[in-house]
Amino acid sequence: MSVTREIVRTHEVRKTYYMGSEEVHALQGVTTSVSAGEYVSIMGPSGSGKSTFFNMVGGLDKPTAGEVYIDEVDVSQLDVYELAWLRCRKIGYIFQTFNLIPVMNALENVSLPMVFAGKSSDECRDKAAELLGKVGLGDRLTHRPVEMSGGQQQRVAIARALANDPAIILADEPTGNLDLKTGQEIIALLTQLKEQDGVTIITATHDHKMLAASDRVVWFTDGKVIRVQNRDDLNIQVGTIDGED
Amino acid sequence: MSEAQVSIFDGDRTDKRLKKVPVSKAWGMCLQNLKNRRGRYMLVFISIAVVVAFFVTTLTFQRMVGELRNDDDVHTRAVMQRAGLLLTDAAAEVKQRDRMIWLLILSGALAFVGVTNTMYMSVTERYREIGTLKCLGALDGFVVQLFIIESVLIGLVGSAIGAVLGLLLTLVQVGLTLEFGLVRGWVLFHGVWPGVPLAIIGGTVLTVLASIYPTVAAARMKPVDAMRVEV
Repeated sequence: MSVTREIVRTHEVRKTYYMGSEEVHALQGVTTSVSAGEYVSIMGPSGSGKSTFFNMVGGLDKPTAGEVYIDEVDVSQLDVYELAWLRCRKIGYIFQTFNLIPVMNALENVSLPMVFAGKSSDECRDKAAELLGKVGLGDRLTHRPVEMSGGQQQRVAIARALANDPAIILADEPTGNLDLKTGQEIIALLTQLKEQDGVTIITATHDHKMLAASDRVVWFTDGKVIRVQNRDDLNIQVGTIDGED
Repeated sequence: MSEAQVSIFDGDRTDKRLKKVPVSKAWGMCLQNLKNRRGRYMLVFISIAVVVAFFVTTLTFQRMVGELRNDDDVHTRAVMQRAGLLLTDAAAEVKQRDRMIWLLILSGALAFVGVTNTMYMSVTERYREIGTLKCLGALDGFVVQLFIIESVLIGLVGSAIGAVLGLLLTLVQVGLTLEFGLVRGWVLFHGVWPGVPLAIIGGTVLTVLASIYPTVAAARMKPVDAMRVEV
C-alpha cells in the first residue's frame, strides 16, 4: 500500500461546555485520524459527543484542549480569514436539513461557495452545472429548493459541498430526513464519489444502512472513542442486521 | 505569525486566507434576494410605509396649518376660522403646540416600534441561512454587509413610499377640513421641507439600526449555533 495521507488528525481533543453552573464534558480526549480517500462513519447515541467531534473536524467549533489538524493545518491556530478559507476550500458540508438557501435555485446554491472563493461568474456557472449533472440533476438547474423533493435537495447540497474540490466532505446525518429508498440513493451517490473521485467522506450518523458503505466506523460513547471497526469486521455485523430486516 | 505556523501551511500562508468578496457581488445578491423574496418583504415594506406615512401626515398637516395661520389673506382666515383652527390667544397657541408635539412623539414611537420589530423578525428568521453562509466560507463582515445593504434598500424604498402616502393623506385631510386650494406655494413647501426628507432618512436609519443588532449577533455566532436557533 502506498503512503496514506492523513487528511484529518485529532490529538487528545477535549471539549467542555457550561450549562449554567454545570460542566458538561462533551469530549474527553479523542485521538483519531482519517486518511485521504477514506469513508468513515462516526456512530454513537445522541449525547455521545459525536456531533461535537464532528463540528471540531469541520472547523465549526474549537476544542477546549487538544489539537485538530485538517490537511496538516491546526484549526485552533487559524484566524477568521483562514478559518473561512478552510471552510470554503477544504471542507464540504452536507446537513441533515439540507440547508439550501430557499430563494436561490439549484445553480445559484451550488455557485455560492465558488463566489466566496472568488471565482468568476462564468466559472461558477459552468462548474455548478457540471456538478449538478454529476449528482443526476442536470435537468433541474433552475429549480428552487421548494420545487424539489428531499432527495433532490440533498443532491443539490452534495453538489454544493463539492463545489471547491474540498479535501473532505462532512455529512451530518445526511439521510436523517429522507425515506429509506432515497437515503440509500444518497449513500450510493456518496460511495460513488468516493470511488470515482477519491473524495474523503466523514459522516455522523445513527443510520445502520450507512455502515455497509463505510471503510471504517468510529463508535462514540460518553465523549470517548470506544471502538474502531474496519470494513472487514463490519461485514459480519451488517449481515446480521440485514438478516433481521 | 510565527515561523512554526507558516510551515504547516506548506510554507505559504498568504493565499490560504479568504479574500473579501467585492461589494458589487453583495449588491447583486441583495437585489436578487429582494426580488425573490418580494412576497415576504411586501409585509415589511407595508409596515415601514404605514408608520412613516402616519408620522409624515401628522407632521405635514400641523406644519401647513401653522403656516396658514400666519396668512393675512381674508379668504384663508375665513376658512381657518370655520375649521376652528384660528387661534385667538397665547394660551390656545401653547395648548395647540403641546398637542402637536405629543402627536409627533406618539407617531415617532409607533414608527420606532413598528420598524424595529419588523426588521428584527426578518433577520432572526434567517439565522439558519447566516449559519449556512458561514459554513460555505462567508466572512462575518460579508454577512453583515449583505444585510446592511438590504436594510438600506428596504428602509429607503419603504420610507419613500410611506412619505408619499403620508403627503397624500395630508392633502386629503386639508381638502376635508379646510380647502384643497389652500395648499400651494409656501404652504406646501413649509409642509414638505424639511420634515419629509427627514422622515425618509429617519425611517431608513431606523431600519438599518434595527437590523444591525440581530445581524451582528448572528454573524458572530458559531455557524453551528446560528443554525440551531429556533425562531
